Amino acid sequence: MKPSDAWAALRPALDPARMPGLLSDLPGSGGRSGKARTALRPAALPAAALALVLTVTACGGGADEGAAGPEAADETITNCDVEVPADDPPERVFAAYQPAIEMAHALGISDRLVGTAFLDARVPEEYADVQAEQEYYENLPSREELLSHDPDFVLSGFNGAFTDESFGTRASLSELGIESWMPSPLCPSEDGQSDETIDPSTVTMEHIYDDLRDLGMLFEAGDRAEEVVADMETTVEGVTDTLEDEFGALDEMDEDDRPTVMVASPDDEGFGVAGGPDFATEIIDLAGGGNAFEDLDDGRNHPVSTEDVIERDPDFILVEVCCDAEMTAADASPQVEEILDDPVLANVTAVEEDQVAEFTFADRSAGPRSASAVETVAETIHPDLFA
Amino acid sequence: MAERTADLTADRHGTRPDRSAPPPARTRTTRAGGPGLLGSTAARSLGLVVALVFLAGVAVASVLIGYQRFTLEEAHLAYAGYTGSDTDLVIRHLRVPRTLAGLLVGAALGVAGVLVQGVTRNPLGDPGLLGINAGAALAAVLAISVFGATALISYVGFAFLGAALAACVVYTVGSMGPDGSSPVKLALAGAAISALLGSLTSAIVLQDRATLDEYRFWVVGSLVGADSTSVPQAVPFLVAGLVLALALVRPLNVVALGDDLARSLGTRVWLVRAGSAVAVVLLAGTATALAGPIGFVGVAVPHIARVLVGPDHRWLLPWSAVLAPLLLLVADIVGRLVVRPEELQVGIVTALIGAPFFILLVRRRKVAGL
Repeated sequence: MKPSDAWAALRPALDPARMPGLLSDLPGSGGRSGKARTALRPAALPAAALALVLTVTACGGGADEGAAGPEAADETITNCDVEVPADDPPERVFAAYQPAIEMAHALGISDRLVGTAFLDARVPEEYADVQAEQEYYENLPSREELLSHDPDFVLSGFNGAFTDESFGTRASLSELGIESWMPSPLCPSEDGQSDETIDPSTVTMEHIYDDLRDLGMLFEAGDRAEEVVADMETTVEGVTDTLEDEFGALDEMDEDDRPTVMVASPDDEGFGVAGGPDFATEIIDLAGGGNAFEDLDDGRNHPVSTEDVIERDPDFILVEVCCDAEMTAADASPQVEEILDDPVLANVTAVEEDQVAEFTFADRSAGPRSASAVETVAETIHPDLFA
Repeated sequence: MAERTADLTADRHGTRPDRSAPPPARTRTTRAGGPGLLGSTAARSLGLVVALVFLAGVAVASVLIGYQRFTLEEAHLAYAGYTGSDTDLVIRHLRVPRTLAGLLVGAALGVAGVLVQGVTRNPLGDPGLLGINAGAALAAVLAISVFGATALISYVGFAFLGAALAACVVYTVGSMGPDGSSPVKLALAGAAISALLGSLTSAIVLQDRATLDEYRFWVVGSLVGADSTSVPQAVPFLVAGLVLALALVRPLNVVALGDDLARSLGTRVWLVRAGSAVAVVLLAGTATALAGPIGFVGVAVPHIARVLVGPDHRWLLPWSAVLAPLLLLVADIVGRLVVRPEELQVGIVTALIGAPFFILLVRRRKVAGL
């Protein structure tokens, strides 16, 4: 028996696809939680392969004008290859996970929420009041529980919600008249799948802007969406301008000027880190750094050994904490101390230079807070420029 | 307890002339299970030395092989010419503690397996199979999640309690019904209780979303978590367990003849049982506190040792104490190599390596000779 099969039994209780180095890097799954799932359903393999071949541009986030089928609604958005009708604004929305919840609040549709679930950290101050009024589940509810809210739309911040172990595929929800959405930087290769084949070209800030505009159209909150996008663009441009004043064009920046950054949480067998396809990579890039584990590209979260960390010798370690509605970066302080005091890490540049910082998993998720996350990371890794 | 055990041992030395003769006991024991492949004392001693040499070799390999490969020279310099380089740090703080943990946990599990099998006369006796490791793991997880224990020393006591409670429950459940306890009933009870405790542990681990990853190895054992703080803390408990086990060697040989015969030979069977139980709780509890629940080593190694040296506990115990860490360290090294640069937990590998070995053994020997 493959160990991953054994672990699969533990999975449904939590969604591993989105967790930073939690279930997703349980032994045997090697951080490729999606693969473990695929292995359980061999029939899905050929279909997934076919989808890969056929889908040239796997999941563009932008509004897609020409692709609607004959029976589709007049107006649709294409979200991860799924056509979502956009001519009848949803009234009863369930928001699962931090990015989706914040997306709803950012677009000003909080009053249409019938339920929210699974926050990774405290929501930004400006949403605190509206979030406090929501019905909130600490963990993702079951499909049945979800249906009991009679939603007409499900917003999910991560792809793991739309798997058989959770809410079910988007197609299966659509059959019940429930349309759905997830962030386009997280599009799986096929509906019902999870992190295994995120197209790295979709892991960009532009895709978040497109997402906001799409949802703005869908919820008839287009003006609000444009405001949010404009705010985010201003924030990111502020960082880009400062960096470019110092180092020249951002995409031609000298590698030596880009500190390597590891986004990680320590565990008893090493670290869980954010790999290439995680949105952390885009955030770090825009902040003028480089993800120290960018080459780990089959899935967002990876378990790595302490020796691997020593060899890569990151310049900065952002220690992330996760998964509580009251969590803030300050909660990472014990782990930061632990890393600074660990004798085996003494020679790692980040430890030597005291460049181990508190961070949250929420700040590396693709969503409305991604722009401020760029600013936060830039302030951390280029303190001279942003002090 | 120690005094009484010593007293028991003295019995078997024949220091009390009024007791009926122990020599027949020894001959019976030997005859019952056969002498093993290594029949003579000389062969057994020499074999043990060879096994020790192998163990030393594997221990060195465990220090050198891993994510990065080191040379003997580098390992030597990490202590003789310490400069604080990455290599020195990795060897001192990761590889050596991990290897020591493998040696200690392996020896503890092997000896605990011998004790459980000897005292219950159950060929499936194993701290893993009888729910003892699962109980220790659950108690440790509770101590960590509820009481916020962080150092091994602060939750090892809970692990003992969990191990003892699990053993009691398994024994009680396994003894229900008209025929009292039987090996099969005990093993079934152990499997059921292990599954229950294991799922409770998983439930707690899954509940605590924030610290989930820190609890990972409580579900499948691993030596990676052992560090230069936890290993020294575990040593006193393991030494105590091993010493107690050694003191029980002769009485265990007598108990192997059957309770009635053992009683007629003047052995206080309940005392041997109680002493063994304490030793098993110390050994399995500490091993679990250090490395999580590692199965299979405790059941496989005593059988392998029995094939080699027969059922005499005076040989079985030291042989198991050497072969078990050998198996565990080999499993750990294999786990580092098969999915590089990631690692497979040793608890998974012991099952993968050990199972076919064990099946072969059962087919050849029909697991006789207890």
